[in-house]
Amino acid sequence: MEIMEVQDLCKTYGKGEAKVEALKYVSFTLQKGEFAAVVGESGSGKSTLLNCIGALDEPDGGKILVDGQDLLAMGEEERTIFRRRNIGFIFQSFHLIPELNVEQNIIFPLLLDYKKPDLRQVDGILEVLGLQERRGHLPGQLSGGQQQRVAIGRALITRPKLILADEPTGNLDRKNSREVIELLTKASRQYQQTILMITHNPNLITSVDRVMQVADGVLSDLGGNANEKLS
Amino acid sequence: MKNYLELIPVSAKIHRRQTRMTRWCIVISVFLISVIFGMADMFLQSQKNLAIMIDGAWHVAFRELDAEQMAFLSARPEVKTVTRYAAANYKLNMDYEVGGVQTVLCGFDETFFEIYPAAGLLEGSFPKGTEEALVSEGMRNRLGLGIGDEVEMTTPGGSLSFRISGFVEDTSMMLKTDAFGLFVNTDTYLSCFREATLREDFVCYVEFLPHCRIQKAIRDICGQLHIPEDKVSENARLMGTLMQSSDHYILMLYLIAFLLAVLVAVSGMMMILGSMNSNVAQRTEFFGMMRCLGATGKQVRRYVRMEAAFWCLKAIPPGLFASVLTVWGLCRMLKVITPTWFGEMPGFGVSMPGVFFGAVIGFLTVFFASRTPTRKAAEVSPLTAVSGNADTVFAAKRAANTGRMHVETALGLHHAAGSRKNLILLTSSFAFSIILFLGFGIGVDFMKHAIKTLRPYTPDVAMISHDNACSIPDSLYAELKGMEQKGNVGIRRVYGRSFAYDLPVHMQGESKTAMLVSYEAYQFGWAESSLTQGDMESAENGEGILLVEKQGFVSEPGSEIELETDRGIQRVRVSGVLRDAPFDGGEDVGTIICSEDLFRELTGETGYTILDIQLRDRSDETVEKLRSMAGDAYSFSDSRASNRETRAVYFSFALFVYGFLAVVALIAVFHIINSVGMSVSARMRQYGAMRAIGISIRQLQSMIAAETFAYLAGGMAEGLLVGLPLHYYLYRQAVTQRWGDAWSLPVAECLIIAAVMTAAAAAAMLGPVHRIRRMSVVETIGM
Ligand SMILES: Nc1ncnc2c1ncn2[C@@H]1O[C@H](COP(=O)(O)OP(=O)(O)O)[C@@H](O)[C@H]1O
Ligand SMILES: [Mg+2]
Repeated sequence: MEIMEVQDLCKTYGKGEAKVEALKYVSFTLQKGEFAAVVGESGSGKSTLLNCIGALDEPDGGKILVDGQDLLAMGEEERTIFRRRNIGFIFQSFHLIPELNVEQNIIFPLLLDYKKPDLRQVDGILEVLGLQERRGHLPGQLSGGQQQRVAIGRALITRPKLILADEPTGNLDRKNSREVIELLTKASRQYQQTILMITHNPNLITSVDRVMQVADGVLSDLGGNANEKLS
Repeated sequence: MKNYLELIPVSAKIHRRQTRMTRWCIVISVFLISVIFGMADMFLQSQKNLAIMIDGAWHVAFRELDAEQMAFLSARPEVKTVTRYAAANYKLNMDYEVGGVQTVLCGFDETFFEIYPAAGLLEGSFPKGTEEALVSEGMRNRLGLGIGDEVEMTTPGGSLSFRISGFVEDTSMMLKTDAFGLFVNTDTYLSCFREATLREDFVCYVEFLPHCRIQKAIRDICGQLHIPEDKVSENARLMGTLMQSSDHYILMLYLIAFLLAVLVAVSGMMMILGSMNSNVAQRTEFFGMMRCLGATGKQVRRYVRMEAAFWCLKAIPPGLFASVLTVWGLCRMLKVITPTWFGEMPGFGVSMPGVFFGAVIGFLTVFFASRTPTRKAAEVSPLTAVSGNADTVFAAKRAANTGRMHVETALGLHHAAGSRKNLILLTSSFAFSIILFLGFGIGVDFMKHAIKTLRPYTPDVAMISHDNACSIPDSLYAELKGMEQKGNVGIRRVYGRSFAYDLPVHMQGESKTAMLVSYEAYQFGWAESSLTQGDMESAENGEGILLVEKQGFVSEPGSEIELETDRGIQRVRVSGVLRDAPFDGGEDVGTIICSEDLFRELTGETGYTILDIQLRDRSDETVEKLRSMAGDAYSFSDSRASNRETRAVYFSFALFVYGFLAVVALIAVFHIINSVGMSVSARMRQYGAMRAIGISIRQLQSMIAAETFAYLAGGMAEGLLVGLPLHYYLYRQAVTQRWGDAWSLPVAECLIIAAVMTAAAAAAMLGPVHRIRRMSVVETIGM
């Protein structure tokens, strides 16, 4: 089942001399449950792509369909609510809310929807993340790896159609990086979660279903890498 | 780049938005502090000018000095001018007359004109010889006199003749009482009027040189010349404005002014501190980075010092400049609107105290505040400083309570109250607005008590019967009324009163004395505001009378009073009670007011005792025309000059008192807008992240609204808690002690400042909300 479709996405920054074509007619699709990685040199346009897909940035042209819905045709409020319910974000520098504890940070997207969180689900996620002991702690009291795990929990809580992760291991050491990737892989397997992850660490793409490369704003599909589903 | 210190302007450029906000903040804070002190300075100067115009430029007066003491006094180095002065018949009750008109008689030295600039010599010269005299402008005009003419003065001891050496402007007192003035030199005065004048009337006025410590000089003089204390008096008004008064009450006022000055200074410091603190986070990061790159602590400190100097240089001069312009504007207003009184005010003078306090407070605070981030940068490890986790100004130590409220409200409140330090800082900056406003509000209370205002019923000119009888005929009133209705001769309103004095009355079983006064429509209308019981209408119809309440004359509407007039004993019914009236018959004499018809019925008199006239056109021609209508049969009182004086005093006072309040309200507005803006700015990155996670703009607005509301509510509570006791204390010192009025809750002031603060808080959210609306999430969270 096709969960996301990107067609002819273009994005240009600046004008005249300073003009940068960050994305040039990028098109691809993602299937449900797919764990895809985007690799490429620094400045090649990976973040721009992710931000456009996540509706954080407006592309100059093209189309983005998430679960059949045209993201760019929505109004501001509608798009925000769509994002809240259907797209989870994981950032390089975590971006947890410092005034909320671990549990509150995880259920934050639900709270924004004025929904009552399902306690069993929250406990389940905390267990998967290995954060049961820390549920009452504030982000400031956690290590970087723990903070990123909270961010993953926050992205998972709404069971979004799509999780976007921009270099989620960029601020972490090797051990924590591996743990984070393991968690994402587990989520992808266990919950049939579709994930699009940017990374430039080649060691981390061994467990993904598919690798795409961006070079100078042009996307090319490198195909499946150690596709475990087939083996 | 040769030196790391060149980073300062570069860093300023990169953080342009933040830099601009901080710079504006310092500019405005410096401006407000400097304006307040500049205004205070100009206020004192204007009041000093006024004091000199009204009471003269003398500082101290000694009575009963002999020639030797005088000589000693003039020889003292700190004394600028000494002049002797004596006056007779200033109460117009001693039968000194020229051409049948009561005449005030003065003798003084030539130096008198230096000390009394208001007594202007119109033409001619000071009377040097014993047979010479100056006479007043009014006498010249009405008797058609010229220099060299002879005037004959009748005195109780026979008549005296003087040759006119010149003319002097009428004083407001002479205009009001329709009197003449005749002025001779001291020696002439002594030889002609020695018997008529008490020795105590002779006063020696002394003006000291500027910057003299007057109280010390007076003590020295009194000690050396053995002058007893009761022979010394100070020019209280002038000494008050020179900050040299010895009067206890005025010293108290100085203390209050000092207190308010401290409050202003503190609030200015808080404004600057607040704005500089808010970019501590960003700057902490920057200093962390510098430390990471290998800058030593000493280098960072030096950098901070240079940066502070950079802020000061960029922000303090514009603030001072703007304040100088504002103060000029105010002075111009005074000069243009009341040129007679404030012509002497400096046109483009720079108020030294204003500039001084603005600069010093600004400089010290910027310097002090710029050190905080260095300390912080030194405290946190370089790593956290650069990792972007030093985001919030004051990191919360507890988690927000999201259980009961919407998450955005809970977070908003938590932003406000999560860190006690943040809450105290912000609520107290809100509270300061109230405290300052209530503090300066005392100025209004003081003004209401201390400064006379013109009443609605104050006339410009009046015709008054000579013998207090009802001798001004009805026909003259009708003629003037006709002119009023046609809008002729610049008359705005004419209203007459008839008086019947010393009527025996019988009320509540007791016999008393009262005066009966007639009112017409205008005066009944003005009296409305002092009606405490009963109704005006039946008094206006002639069905009853109004009783002015005072000791021994307390009554209820409906009760009856017996009056004894030439027509016999009459009974009237009280239909209303007034709190007060514009006139008073003296102790134990009651005042009864009735309609004109009833007055005629009761007394049989048809004429008026006084015709008051308010003018639309206050020119001399109009007044001359009216004077000629009155002729010599009635005295003609010209209150224009004294009204002008009252108006000038009130205007100059009100301009500054309300000016202070306006600036204080501005401080409040600025404070609030700034605090909210800074608080939002500091969390912009966090808001960006929340937007990415899916918070809507509307929810962010509620979050900011909740935060602002928390500050507002906390600030108001705190402000009232501190402000009301302060107001009570200041009111007691400035008003109750002097006039006895009891303190009451300053409801109007509280409501005004609360409304201003609420409006400012609402306005304060507009900017940040706008910024959030336009915010690019990607750029804000720096992906
Ligand atoms: N806001 C911006 N303004 C101008 N140029 C930008 C902006 N954001 C990104 N770029 C440029 O677009 C290109 C792609 O950037 P990005 O997507 O961040 O690369 P990366 O693959 O490292 O994530 C780069 O050349 C970058 O300089
Ligand atoms: Mg990137």
